[in-house]
Order: sequence, then structure tokens, then C-alpha cells
Amino acid sequence: MDLLTASVATVESDGEPYTLVKLVGEADVTNCASLRDVLEAEVAKLPRTLVIDLSGLRFMDSSALHVILRANRSMDREGGVLSLAGPREPVAKMLRLTAADQLIPVYASVSEATAG
Amino acid sequence: MRLNRVSLGNASHHGRISRAGVADSSVPAAPVTGALRHVGFFYRTMDEYARTVAAFLRAGIAVGEPAFAAVPPGKLGVIMDALGSDARHIGFADMTLLGRNPAWIIPRVREFTGRHAGRRVRYLDEPIWASRNAAELREATRHEALINLAFAAADAEILCPYDAAELDPAILADARRTHPALLTEGRLGVSPGYAVPFRIPSSCSLPLSPPPRGAMFHPYRSNLSEVRALVLEHARAAGLPEARANDLVLAVSEVAANTLRHTQSDGTLTIWHDRAEIVCEVRDKGIITDPLAGRRRPPQDANGGHGLWLVHQVCDLVELRSDTSGTTVRMHMAIRPRILPA
Repeated sequence: MDLLTASVATVESDGEPYTLVKLVGEADVTNCASLRDVLEAEVAKLPRTLVIDLSGLRFMDSSALHVILRANRSMDREGGVLSLAGPREPVAKMLRLTAADQLIPVYASVSEATAG
Repeated sequence: MRLNRVSLGNASHHGRISRAGVADSSVPAAPVTGALRHVGFFYRTMDEYARTVAAFLRAGIAVGEPAFAAVPPGKLGVIMDALGSDARHIGFADMTLLGRNPAWIIPRVREFTGRHAGRRVRYLDEPIWASRNAAELREATRHEALINLAFAAADAEILCPYDAAELDPAILADARRTHPALLTEGRLGVSPGYAVPFRIPSSCSLPLSPPPRGAMFHPYRSNLSEVRALVLEHARAAGLPEARANDLVLAVSEVAANTLRHTQSDGTLTIWHDRAEIVCEVRDKGIITDPLAGRRRPPQDANGGHGLWLVHQVCDLVELRSDTSGTTVRMHMAIRPRILPA
């Protein structure tokens, strides 16, 4: 079984469409290069909004965080917004301890991330 | 990793392990003493303690210097009584919480100095008391040594009380090595034991005791998921609450990830526990040379440096030994976080 699965969708919403990347499993140093490829490919399409759904993520280490921070910088540069949705407590705590949650908006769910 | 593309074309992705290399941090240059004054204060009575500490803090209040005091809870009342209404000018913290893991102290003091950048500050630092266990005392002594490195360029006055009547003479001998100046029997003088350039006392780097017989031993190369599952299973069996079990999983995984990043060979994980604590030890061939590794809060957007930061933040105590033969990181978690008698 794969340790990490990424599903990508372009979602039509009331407002503008957004890109949703849903991660399921465990994200660590062994698969962060693949995660980087997925995120870079989506960022390159210049979406206005990219939401990473973390609700299916059981574990995330600092290598995966660096990949997300890198995607966030690229989105910033292009005037887009990256946000994180639904982290379980261990992942949420890691985002707090690294203060990444002060750099990237973190929402309880995808619907909150895309509301308004 | 499997990629599901819902609305877009297929692309192939292969999991890759990051390139191996050797940790490249180097030992920073020796601190230049000057702006920092780091004084060990050996006291014998509570009266002497109260008078001296109050005078130290009041000297700062008189000239408008921000002051912060992190001491064991038993000392908080003593200092507040001695200061009277002046106490409202001082920020206080319970060192048994702030410094349970002594590696937490330097980042907190940096926050304090950072809030008052450009001003001279005063800090009362008491991480060492007689009832702490040997591993904690070693790490608190290491912290005292690292103050000289971390705050070499800081405009700060730091006073560190030591109970000369109660503490082991070996601890006091190390305090003479970690403080450039000493205040004993009311006299302030240069500490002859303080070594320049910067050095951590050798007692802090004694070999770790071997793991107990019956400890679980697990070699790993790239299956970190299995490493995490083992830690979680043992942490639960040891009675660690779920949130702290997850903390330990994160810490061990971060250290084991360094094995993959920086070495070409297997690492080993050893786990044991007793009624008081669970311990996870990771050994590999990597080398960590930066004595302040994990004690600097990485910038939010940093591309590295979060690993050991997280390890220190979530664990109750971390012991690290590294030389040319490799690195051992021993991570301690109390089964029930205890209130340290002090």
C-alpha cells in the first residue's frame, strides 16, 4: 500500500474555481520529492486559490512541511493563496511548533478554507 | 506515493529519497565577551539569595532595563517578597515548566531579548537545583555553557544562582567552567575555571549509559512508517497519553529522517521504558557539530532546521552525543509529566 496518496481536483464553486489537493496517508522524507512534483505542477498552472486538504494525513514531518512552504512561496510570488484544511491534531501541532500556521492560513475544513 | 488525478491528465511520480550527504553545520566562532555579562552566583542561605537577587533585579529597574526571572516555584515567592512593589516590573516564569527540557530556555530568552532589541536586558536564570536527576543536570549545565555562545553578542546581564550548600561539588565545579564571572560570598570576580575559547564541560559529553537489557532494538533504512508504528505501539503500551505518544513519534521520525538525508547506512532505534519514562534512542553514522542545533527557532520560511527544533520542542529531555563515529539521540518522555520538587 502506498504511504501517501495525492488526489488533485479543480473544483467549481460559487465564486472562482479552486485547486484542491487531498493528501491521504503519511508524508515524510521518503515521499516528499513526489509531493513536491505534484504541488509544483499545480502551482505552475497559476490557480488563484490552492487548498491542501490534510484531513486524511496521519503524519507529516518537516521535509513535507518544507515542500508545502516552498509551494506557498511560489503561490505568493504569483499572487495566489495557498491554504491548509482540516489537519488532525498531530499535524496541527507540528504546524504550530514551526509557526508555519502564522505563514499559511490553516482552516478546520475545506469548506471553511474556500468560504468567502 | 500514488497520485490520483481527478480532473487532470495522468503523470507518473516515483518516490525518491533525498540525496545523501553529511551534516554541514560547523562550530561557530568563539564568543567575544563584552556586552554579555554571565555570572554564576553561589549562595549559602536564602537570606543571601533574596538580598542578592533583589539587588540584581532592582539595579535593572533603576535604569529602566527590562528584566525576566525564570526560577523554581519555591523561589518565586522569595523574590517577590524581597522586591515588594518592585516585583511588578519583572516578568516571572516557573523554571520547572519553562526549563523542564533545558533546551527550551535559550529560545525563550531569545524571545525576551528580541522583544527588547536595542536595549540592555537582565535575566535571572536558575535551571539547576539539587533534586534534578543526573541527565537533567547534565543538560542544564550544557545550557549554561551554551548561554555564552547563544548570547555572545547580546547586551545582557545574566545571573545564575547555585545553592552552594546543597549542590554536588561536581555541579559547582562545572558552574565555574560555564560562567565567565562568579559572585561568591558577596564578591564578584573572574572565574578562573572558565575556558576561552568556548567549551562545553566534558561532564556533559560523558558516554550515555547502555540501554537496559530487554530494550527493543530495531534497525531501519528507509521504512520510517514502520519506525513510527513501533514508537506509537510502545508509547501506548508504556501508558503515555495519546498526544504525547504522537509527540514522541514525531521526534523519533525527524531524527530517523536525518539518517536517510545525511548517511548511506542503516540507523538503529532502541526503545525502553520504566514506570517513570519511555526512552527512544536513535543511532546513525551522521555527524552533528553545531552545539546549538535545535535551540534556535528556525525562521518560519526556513528550508531546514525544523527537525531538531521539533525534537527538542516535543520531548521532556533530549541527550545528544556526536563524534566522528556517528550520532546518538536519546529522547525522554515522562509517562506522567511530573512536577519537579524544587
